Amino acid sequence: MSSGATATAAAPVKAERPAPHKAGLLDRFLMQGGIVITFLLVAVVATAIMEPRFLNRLNLLNVMRNFAFLLIPSLAQMLVMTAGGFDLSVGAVLAISSVVTATVMLVGAQYLPGMEWALILLSLVAVIGVGALVGLVNAWLVTGFSLSPFMVTLAMMSVLVGIALYFTQGIPIYGVAESFVSGVGRGQILGLPVVLVISLVILAACIVLQRFTALGRHIYAVGSDLRSARLSGVATGRTLAVAYLLASVLAALTGFLMTARLGSGQSTIGETLALQTIAAAVIGGVSLRGGVGRAEHVALAALFLAVVANAMNLTQVDSKFQTLVLGAVLIVALAIERLLLRRRGA
Amino acid sequence: MSNPSTAKAEAASRPAATPLLDFIRAARLPLAIVVTLVLFGLVEPRVLSFGNFRNIAVQASYLAIFAMAQTVVILTRGFDLSLGYTVSLVSVVASMAMVAGGGDASIVYGLCAGLLVALLIGAANGVLIAGIGINPLVTTLGMSYVVLAFASTVSGGFPVTGLPPAFNAIFAQSAPLGLPTPIWIAALTFVLLYLVLKATRFGRSLYIVGANPKAAVAAGIRTVPVLLIAYMLCSALTALGALLLTARTGSGEPNLGGNLTLQAIAAAVVGGVRLSGGEGGMGSALFGALFVTVLSNGMNLVQIDGYLQQICLGVIIIASLIVSRDDARR
Repeated sequence: MSSGATATAAAPVKAERPAPHKAGLLDRFLMQGGIVITFLLVAVVATAIMEPRFLNRLNLLNVMRNFAFLLIPSLAQMLVMTAGGFDLSVGAVLAISSVVTATVMLVGAQYLPGMEWALILLSLVAVIGVGALVGLVNAWLVTGFSLSPFMVTLAMMSVLVGIALYFTQGIPIYGVAESFVSGVGRGQILGLPVVLVISLVILAACIVLQRFTALGRHIYAVGSDLRSARLSGVATGRTLAVAYLLASVLAALTGFLMTARLGSGQSTIGETLALQTIAAAVIGGVSLRGGVGRAEHVALAALFLAVVANAMNLTQVDSKFQTLVLGAVLIVALAIERLLLRRRGA
Repeated sequence: MSNPSTAKAEAASRPAATPLLDFIRAARLPLAIVVTLVLFGLVEPRVLSFGNFRNIAVQASYLAIFAMAQTVVILTRGFDLSLGYTVSLVSVVASMAMVAGGGDASIVYGLCAGLLVALLIGAANGVLIAGIGINPLVTTLGMSYVVLAFASTVSGGFPVTGLPPAFNAIFAQSAPLGLPTPIWIAALTFVLLYLVLKATRFGRSLYIVGANPKAAVAAGIRTVPVLLIAYMLCSALTALGALLLTARTGSGEPNLGGNLTLQAIAAAVVGGVRLSGGEGGMGSALFGALFVTVLSNGMNLVQIDGYLQQICLGVIIIASLIVSRDDARR
């Protein structure tokens, strides 16, 4: 009713307005990752000028590793957000899967002594199981009861962090397999960190998923308009479930990989991950209303955040102010998106 | 829903509804509070002592203020995830102002400084959400980290001690007519807000903006100032609660607000404030706060691990979301 009223009110205004794609070049640049590319270039150039150590090979490797650890959960967040949802529980899944990884290895070592690779595989299976379970519960609550995904995953975050802290009392779990740390955490493939290679493979998979598969198209459809997606025959519930499932599994995988990096299971990691991944997604042009977002742009945004964090470390900015920059960058990116939308008359 | 005759007709057409079931549904929160108290009382008799009731009332008054703050913005389909860290920042800043001023008169500086900081945060939230039109959840999530950064650095991350003793004496220890001051202040705030929501143009605008933003615009309500004031009011109430908590602890604590965001949301949601806006009121916040306090008080007394309590909080939020959704269907 009210939408009809606004449509008729808006129609004459639109007719008087000059051709809407007058600013086409700028608009197209901004639509196709212009913001994130600009952000990234400015950050890289500014950091390189201010702090020459930035271009040091070891430092760049470090940036790439941090980028990889942010990229995987950011892709997870992107999948859920393009489907019209939110996942605040990614950080909590990271923490709980780190605890699970270390626990499985610690306990398993008593039953399978000396079989480190079997233990690594076993913990990977366990972690993916945990991730899948969390994702399914999230999806069930969001779709089965049509609850706000933000609230569901916020509450889920409280539950999962509580579980991780309850079982560990906040104390790191040591006793992770040696070859796990050396092979996965510090290992390299073709001179690149294993984590980076894995994250790039996942990125490629996400690009293929979004561009060439029915599931990818369904995720966009569900995110941009749930009702018309359902009416055109998309299995909306199942699509959303897959999105949440993939997201939690990717977050769990990040926790697994991070445990290899840290050499212990930690229940306190991932506190700011939800914010970081939402920031990466939003800067990468993923719409908060769903239906819009590209994996490659999100990857550039994650790289941007990794560069900014590295720049602040190099210039010895208090780590507490890094959260400030993160929060501010998120708000600024949103404001830009919003103002552009408004200019386009949306 | 607002029309009593159709509501009655619907109730009559429901075959399963009996007077008893209807009563339970309407009074489920007070009932849940009593049942929770009795259950914990069976395990630990101290739960049902007069001293503990007084304890619960005092604890609930802090949470009620925060829940009322959250309710103001939830009514507009909004949210304030920066509430918890605002509590921390107000606590630290107000304490630093009092310590810098010295003497009992500096309490006034502290109150003003705390309120000012909160109003700035609320105004920033309001401008971003109402003025620019950014999603309130993500705006206040981003804002919460900005506020956290200040809260944990302004005092170097350390508690601020050396507050004037009168601050603690007036705002925490005193008990006019036998009731502790926090209860008085929470009650007064409740009455004021209740009147504002029921009897002022602004109060009614809050409901309309939340229930149907387009209709609100069509009805000639200027939504931008309404939302801006709502977020500033939310932050001002948060500051009030933060100052009372600071008086209670007797020092400015950078970690004071850690869990409060989730608790305030839990209290409001359990009380029946609908996240889709326009439904619920200050009574919901009050009863919700009482329920959450009774629960955490009981869990503390029977010595349930703090982390398990965190799990319970999450489960309760989800459960009450499901229940309130069922209410909307009826």
